[in-house]
Amino acid sequence: MEFVIAHSYLIPLLPLLGAAISGFFGAKWLKGQSHWPIWLGVGAAAVMSFVLLGGMIHLAGSSEGPVGRVQDYYEWVSAGTFSAKAGFFFDPLTAVMLCVVTGVGFFITVFAAGYMKGETGYFRFFAYLGLFIFSMTNLVMGSNLAMLYLGWEGVGLCSYLLIGYYYEKPAAREAAKKAFLVNRVGDFGFALGIMLCFWAFGTISYYGSGVGSGTGLLEMAHRVLMHAPDSNVHAATQLWALKYIPFLLMLGAFGKSAQFPLYVWLPDAMEGPTPVSALIHAATMVTAGVYMIVRCGTLFVGNSAAMMTVAAIGGFTALFAATIALRQFDLKKVFAYSTISQLGYMFVGVGILAPASAVFHLVTHAFFKALLFLSSGVVMHAMNGHLDMRKMSGLKKVLPKTNILMLIGCAALAGFPALSGFFSKDEIVAQTWAHSTLLGMTVLFTAFLTAYYTFRLYFQVFQGPLVVPSEPAEAKPDHDPHQESGHDIPVDGHTAHHGDEHHNHEPMLMILPLVVLAIGAVLAGYLNWPKDHLAEFLGKSPSVHYAYEIAMSHYDHDLVKAESFGVTEAGGSSEPFITPGMLIGGMVSIAGILLAYMLHLRDRARAERIAAGLQPITSILEAKYMVDEIYQAAIVEPLRDLGRFFFAIDRIVVDGLVWLVGFVPQLSGFVLKLTVQRGYLQGYAAAMLFGVVAILLIVFL
Amino acid sequence: MFAIGVIGFISRRNLIVMFLCTELMFQGVAINLIAFGRYHGNFAGQAFVIFVLVIAAAEASLALGLVVLLFRQKNTLDADAWRELKG
Repeated sequence: MEFVIAHSYLIPLLPLLGAAISGFFGAKWLKGQSHWPIWLGVGAAAVMSFVLLGGMIHLAGSSEGPVGRVQDYYEWVSAGTFSAKAGFFFDPLTAVMLCVVTGVGFFITVFAAGYMKGETGYFRFFAYLGLFIFSMTNLVMGSNLAMLYLGWEGVGLCSYLLIGYYYEKPAAREAAKKAFLVNRVGDFGFALGIMLCFWAFGTISYYGSGVGSGTGLLEMAHRVLMHAPDSNVHAATQLWALKYIPFLLMLGAFGKSAQFPLYVWLPDAMEGPTPVSALIHAATMVTAGVYMIVRCGTLFVGNSAAMMTVAAIGGFTALFAATIALRQFDLKKVFAYSTISQLGYMFVGVGILAPASAVFHLVTHAFFKALLFLSSGVVMHAMNGHLDMRKMSGLKKVLPKTNILMLIGCAALAGFPALSGFFSKDEIVAQTWAHSTLLGMTVLFTAFLTAYYTFRLYFQVFQGPLVVPSEPAEAKPDHDPHQESGHDIPVDGHTAHHGDEHHNHEPMLMILPLVVLAIGAVLAGYLNWPKDHLAEFLGKSPSVHYAYEIAMSHYDHDLVKAESFGVTEAGGSSEPFITPGMLIGGMVSIAGILLAYMLHLRDRARAERIAAGLQPITSILEAKYMVDEIYQAAIVEPLRDLGRFFFAIDRIVVDGLVWLVGFVPQLSGFVLKLTVQRGYLQGYAAAMLFGVVAILLIVFL
Repeated sequence: MFAIGVIGFISRRNLIVMFLCTELMFQGVAINLIAFGRYHGNFAGQAFVIFVLVIAAAEASLALGLVVLLFRQKNTLDADAWRELKG
């Protein structure tokens, strides 16, 4: 543990080193072996992360108060009183996030080696993955907001590069640009928030030289919120700034974590290779916003308006994205909207003073969503790049292992009792009721929708009569090398079995990581049930601990549940083994699954009839509420017009001025040439004489 | 002498005469330098004139060479023959 903390720079550096090796030597020498540097780098980082987690658990268990360690290496940026150190901060929250990032990340890179086999630019893909893990570990480990921002922008860049991996495809390029630009909107607010933090507190370090030193931003905010205005001379300014900082930081979180209204980039990001969708756009990067709000909890909790905004936006996004997912037909798009929806849950969790529950859901979500994405990657691999679920059915006969894995993932996402999603989701749902009935209704209804659309997909694709798309996906000619390998799956079942003997659609390299993730998706829920181990552990994080203290002093005590902050009450937890919330949640989930079973397995024609009966609603859902079109008309086009206007101004006014400046000497030269320079030597001499006389007159008179 | 040189340079077209006029201007300046040197009672003026004469000798040979070359080109000494050199 001490060794790991002292050498913690290795955690981001090893993946970066791997990325450098793959990137520089991959094209010529490593080629198809380019995954090795990344495997080793990320694997080593994962081992270090788990050692760190073990050490943290030990440390947290043996200490009463919050635990956190600062490890600063050198002065990174220094300008006047501003200083940002290149350093890391370790507490339970960091440890948990690190394990999710490197652990899930490692299995996804293993899967990617199987999935991307034979792609052009194989080395490039792995170099980007390594760079991504580097950025993401920086993001969760950084000891100050500048390091967080470095990682924040780094993952944004990697996301851009990886979405645009198939850069020959216009849709991929557009999606990459869109993701980058939409994130810019959020990052703008985020950067302003960091600046405001520095302006008000004079530092951007979380905990300064150490937890309890009182020199860090978060502890200063805690002090000023707890001990009222007279705690220091800048208290008035700081309290004023704390009204606005959360809103600015929140913008960044909404952009990165794809919340309404900045969610539009995430569904389009599915143009990237599937492992990328799993790693970046489901399991890790998009959770950065949640992590940031939990980490900066002290800045947020004191501001009830900001907390309400976070919860409301999260709840709205959860419902909104879930309804869109109901009528999507692209496997990955369904999961993309489901990711947005689940992120909405996490924001609700953060907003209703339950950061530990939000992080719990984050962890379980990382497992089952990565599993779901990678499983759909296997489906895509086997189906020649097809992802349209209307064209396939009954795949359990062709992909028996994937069938089971997908079932586990879907059940976990749907919140089927005893799987991980059940515990984490219901924790959030149950606590939402205490805050707002409306919000509680929203998230409960969303849970129902989630169960329904997840199992609609599952029943449609894996159950029922076998139907497989015969021709390769026409829209993705350069997309998949898999079609070159000629997996021509015959339509009738017999030859399909015959085909299976020749082509293995489920290579071990792809299935093994999925098995691990599936185990995680099943068991991750027991981290926090029946006893709140994870929450208690997270409660030792100073960020969560201070947030709890502020919450206790700023809110009605009924609203602040100690266990949501991982604080064990003195009287012992009186929480029943199975709460009513769990019963309701489980019932809702099963109801959703049953509905999906009725409509999409038993009687598919009926689903079509009902859909046809609700024509206006389904068409608006299929159009995704026209949000993209509205943005296009209301924001993009006016901006384009503005751009054209400025371009015209630039052309006429600015270029005109420059041209004019150039033209004046030309014109005068031309005139002088005709009038003065006539070739009479005597004329020149006379001009010189008059010039000299004139100068002498001026000088001497 | 300087004035005669200037007027000559401006009014005549013959290259050799024009060159002679520049020499005249030189000498005018030189005499001026000696006169002022004498008036102020130091020898810097005279020393400078010697210097000017040396350079004038060198320059004269160069300029006469140029004039000869120009004459060979056009068979005339008229300065206006070279108007085509205007920009």
